[in-house]
Amino acid sequence: MDPLPEPVSYLCGDCGVENTLKPGDVIQCRECGYRILYKKRTRRIVQYEAR
Amino acid sequence: MEGASYARMPRVKIRELKDDYMKFELRDTDASVANALRRVMISEVPTVAIDLVEIEVNSSVLNDEFIAHRLGLIPLTSERAMGMRFSRDCDACDGDGQCEYCSVEFHLRVKCMTDSTLDVTSKDLYSSDHTVVPVDFSAADSSSVETSDGRGIIIVKLRKGQELRLRAIARKGIGKDHAKWSPAATVTFMYEPEIHINEDLMESLSLEEKKEWIDSSPTRVFDIDPVTQQVMVVDPEAYSYDDEVIKKAEAMGKPGLVEINAKQDSFIFTVESTGAVKASQLLQNAIEILKQKLDAVRLSEDTVEADDQFGELGAHMRGG
Repeated sequence: MDPLPEPVSYLCGDCGVENTLKPGDVIQCRECGYRILYKKRTRRIVQYEAR
Repeated sequence: MEGASYARMPRVKIRELKDDYMKFELRDTDASVANALRRVMISEVPTVAIDLVEIEVNSSVLNDEFIAHRLGLIPLTSERAMGMRFSRDCDACDGDGQCEYCSVEFHLRVKCMTDSTLDVTSKDLYSSDHTVVPVDFSAADSSSVETSDGRGIIIVKLRKGQELRLRAIARKGIGKDHAKWSPAATVTFMYEPEIHINEDLMESLSLEEKKEWIDSSPTRVFDIDPVTQQVMVVDPEAYSYDDEVIKKAEAMGKPGLVEINAKQDSFIFTVESTGAVKASQLLQNAIEILKQKLDAVRLSEDTVEADDQFGELGAHMRGG
């Protein structure tokens, strides 16, 4: 595990604003209070088997 | 070894030869050999295909694993595959499968900047090795219409602002591991038919009846000689062992009108290649591999340890 749990950023499903959440935070948009948030794609390289 | 040798001397006669298509006769051997050859061509002749995909950016509509799978299925020119190493028994990279002896690297970087849809095709793949590139179908047959404008194989379509950036590793493999490594589109063989018409019985039919009987065959095997009005065999190989003409003869009350036998030692092969290797090379490679497998059998008769020397062939023999 990573020593520092990096805050992950999410997009609000309603207003589209970017939210940063840490473990234990309430899943809710800071701007509009909407409770559906979308996780962004990782910027890391991802590896797949071509099968 | 003692005892009589049952070795036969098979003959091959090539009838038709194109880059991706071949038709040949195999005579003086048995069905076991013919079928072994067919199966080796489909699943044991090695080719190179994309096996690992590292995606940097993918904002296309297709998900990463979907694109990785599509990349794997693209045929790559594999003339060199017979001499390449399998990455699993490559010494240079500890089976890592990323060194020059056992792999080829590809890069793809495309972004759509225009309002019109951008097709990402196999031609957008940049190879680190000019001998291993996506198969080019445009030169082979200019009359084909399936590829638009002679472009490559479409991987994904991008709209404005979408981007795809990745690195792919191609490795040597065989069709038995995964069909993407199969160099063969189709390999089939048929027994050569021997057709004997009972002339006396045939002459007891009227011209109308002869025509009716000829038309009962779903394929055009027989026809009427315009001069003598006799029934003749025009294309014995068009016969698909459907028994329709035999049933028709019986229905007409003329059993034994025609006798059709499959020659047990004569085969007609049709080979279609994916383009990874030429059809002619595919046959030669298959024979080479069949010989290697037989060598492994001969050696393992004396020593069980000999298995180890043969690496992958040993695994085949143990029922891999």
